[in-house]
Amino acid sequence: MPLLEIKNLQIEFGSGASSVRAVDGISVSLEAGKTLCLVGESGSGKSVTALSIAKLVPSPPARYVGGEILLEGRDVLKMSSRELRDIRGGLVSYVFQEPGASLNPVFRIGAQIKESLKYHRPAVANDVEVVRLLKLVGIPAPESRLRNYPHEMSGGMQQRVMIAMALASQPKLLVADEPTTALDVTIQAQIIELLGDLRQKLGMAVLLITHNLGIVGDLADDVAVMYAGQIVEHGPVREVLQRPLHPYTQALIRSVPDLEAEVERLTAIPGAVPLLGSFPDGCRFHPRCPKAQSSCSAQAPELASVQSGRRVRCPLWESPAVNRSSTLHA
Amino acid sequence: MPLLEIQNLKVHFPVQPRLFGRAKEFVRAVDDVSFCIAPGETVGLVGESGCGKTTLGRAVIKLIEPTAGRIVFEGEDIAGLTGAQLRARRRRFQMIFQDPFGSLDPRRTVSDSIGEALDIHRLASDAKARRQRIDALLKNVGLDPSHASRLPHEFSGGQRQRIGIARALAVEPKLIVCDEPVSALDVSVQAQIINLLQDLQREHGIAYLFVAHDLAVVKHISRRILVMYLGRIVESGEAKEVCRSPKHPYTQALLSAVPVVDPDSKRQRILLAGDVPSPIHPPGGCPFHPRCPVAEARCKTEVPTLRELEPGRQAACHLAT
Ligand SMILES: Nc1ncnc2c1ncn2[C@@H]1O[C@H](COP(=O)(O)OP(=O)(O)OP(=O)(O)O)[C@@H](O)[C@H]1O
Ligand SMILES: Nc1ncnc2c1ncn2[C@@H]1O[C@H](COP(=O)(O)OP(=O)(O)O)[C@@H](O)[C@H]1O
Ligand code: SF4
Ligand code: SF4
Ligand SMILES: [Mg+2]
Ligand SMILES: [Mg+2]
Repeated sequence: MPLLEIKNLQIEFGSGASSVRAVDGISVSLEAGKTLCLVGESGSGKSVTALSIAKLVPSPPARYVGGEILLEGRDVLKMSSRELRDIRGGLVSYVFQEPGASLNPVFRIGAQIKESLKYHRPAVANDVEVVRLLKLVGIPAPESRLRNYPHEMSGGMQQRVMIAMALASQPKLLVADEPTTALDVTIQAQIIELLGDLRQKLGMAVLLITHNLGIVGDLADDVAVMYAGQIVEHGPVREVLQRPLHPYTQALIRSVPDLEAEVERLTAIPGAVPLLGSFPDGCRFHPRCPKAQSSCSAQAPELASVQSGRRVRCPLWESPAVNRSSTLHA
Repeated sequence: MPLLEIQNLKVHFPVQPRLFGRAKEFVRAVDDVSFCIAPGETVGLVGESGCGKTTLGRAVIKLIEPTAGRIVFEGEDIAGLTGAQLRARRRRFQMIFQDPFGSLDPRRTVSDSIGEALDIHRLASDAKARRQRIDALLKNVGLDPSHASRLPHEFSGGQRQRIGIARALAVEPKLIVCDEPVSALDVSVQAQIINLLQDLQREHGIAYLFVAHDLAVVKHISRRILVMYLGRIVESGEAKEVCRSPKHPYTQALLSAVPVVDPDSKRQRILLAGDVPSPIHPPGGCPFHPRCPVAEARCKTEVPTLRELEPGRQAACHLAT
């Protein structure tokens, strides 16, 4: 049994005629100890999917209109509020983009971590354990940091504290939603390294959400690429990044400037990411797809299993026109 | 003759001392920076958050008053100019910002935002010429002129950035300071804006000072690169050369931290310890020494100067050769 199994999840905002579907039929699973990466541009539904795992998308305005989220076999969407409280920051812990926004500015960081311990592991709600956690996330001289307020720390340090807090409950699943987006590349490299280390040491599963394809390869076992509320491609990380099958994945990879390449002109994707509520008919990528054919605007493609462990939402993935330039650095 | 020559530029901001009676302290946001930009050239500026990129970019075009130094624009020192004299020269340098949301007035139509620049510098003889110019500018940046009467919120992030670019272009500047113009955009749209900036440069011969924290983007668009650390330039040179063989340990670390898509990339990551130190009390000796993986004893006491290593190539490190 996988640790996490999301089946055909559908989440809408608003009601009646004005309701819009932000997450439309997401299915993914994650084994204990593994790392899955959700990539996609802004508004593709990554955060809503990630938050839904602990039913954290507030409802209203959200409505969980369909599907299941099985955590160790139990459906989160059917849990009582008591059960939900226990899994939040327990079995599943979160780390967000803005560490500043998730830490309480008026409490010392030692006290905040202890608070989390009190709820989930009361027997060790003491300074010794807090120091151990801070050390685990690589904060130098942790004893001297217990009495710091968040604003007395840099963004990178705050993110480490957030991770320490998330680890307090010894979660089996760490959901990290754009954990490095607000940080400098140098600090991003530190945090990615830290997450990789922790996963090894603690054997927890990680769901990493990012719009940055460049950090996917460092951590993920599998990757799911999202576009307009759906998964368009899913598979083992090396395969997807080196031999993307979906035109969107291909175009996205090619639009990232490459330090090692010498190109005159970047390959851009025309148009813009579609807004929620105005997703195009047929294939949602068709107005921007360099390989679109007339059939693409008529028929909405299914996410089909192709090859071993790979899924692609494009019926034309095998056609030579789509496949020709599908390798990295093509 | 260079279009712009910056000589020993300093921008120091006073900060409140923590204790009464303590001497007044300063953030040395930009500390003794010199460089040139040739007409039609792009110079990239990279460095970690807070190292002084925005401050330098704004000071160069006098949106911030420099504390010291010379800003020689087309042969004339504009560092000391104020009032009408400065305004008369404002046309020649413009700025575009990271946040196209923040830089456009939400209540003004696109046509008003662009027209304002035309009005200030009296660049349109009558209403008809004004409208034609706005239409042409919108077309130039890839926007539909029929959208001129819309408000900023009706556009996507990438489109808003195009509006910002059209507004800067309106006055036919010689230099545009681009402060992280693509950092807030979706990856798929970033490339469109970078391509647009390059096209416009070719068409109009505009020079750019291009600020970004993504070295891959900077390398792509720039002929030369300046690497900044704690208010100082620590390395400069041809973009390709700096990226191919970085001389300063900081540049080496920055380059190694650039995310790469290919999971089999052979690059070894150099992890820098800790964060950027406070610019109010920068470390003595080499300001980079507390984080430098190859620091030696002398680095703690001797300040390395920015030396010319080869023609057009400079680095501020005792060990650089
Ligand atoms: N008006 C001001 N008063 C005091 N300090 C300032 C002021 N403006 C900037 N600073 C300080 O000057 C330094 C340089 O800031 P600047 O905004 O130029 O950095 P940056 O390199 O553009 O950073 P980022 O990548 O975050 O945009 C920082 O330490 C900043 O806190
Ligand atoms: N509380 C909310 N009310 C209405 N729409 C929302 C809400 N939260 C998210 N959305 C919308 O759902 C879509 C997906 O959002 P999100 O998951 O945050 O995207 P991502 O994390 O991929 O950038 C977006 O169009 C967003 O505007
Ligand atoms: S279905 Fe058509 S439009 Fe969609 S990705 Fe495939 S080729 Fe492109
Ligand atoms: S001078 Fe010393 S500390 Fe500074 S970058 Fe060079 S080796 Fe490192
Ligand atoms: Mg998000
Ligand atoms: Mg800045």
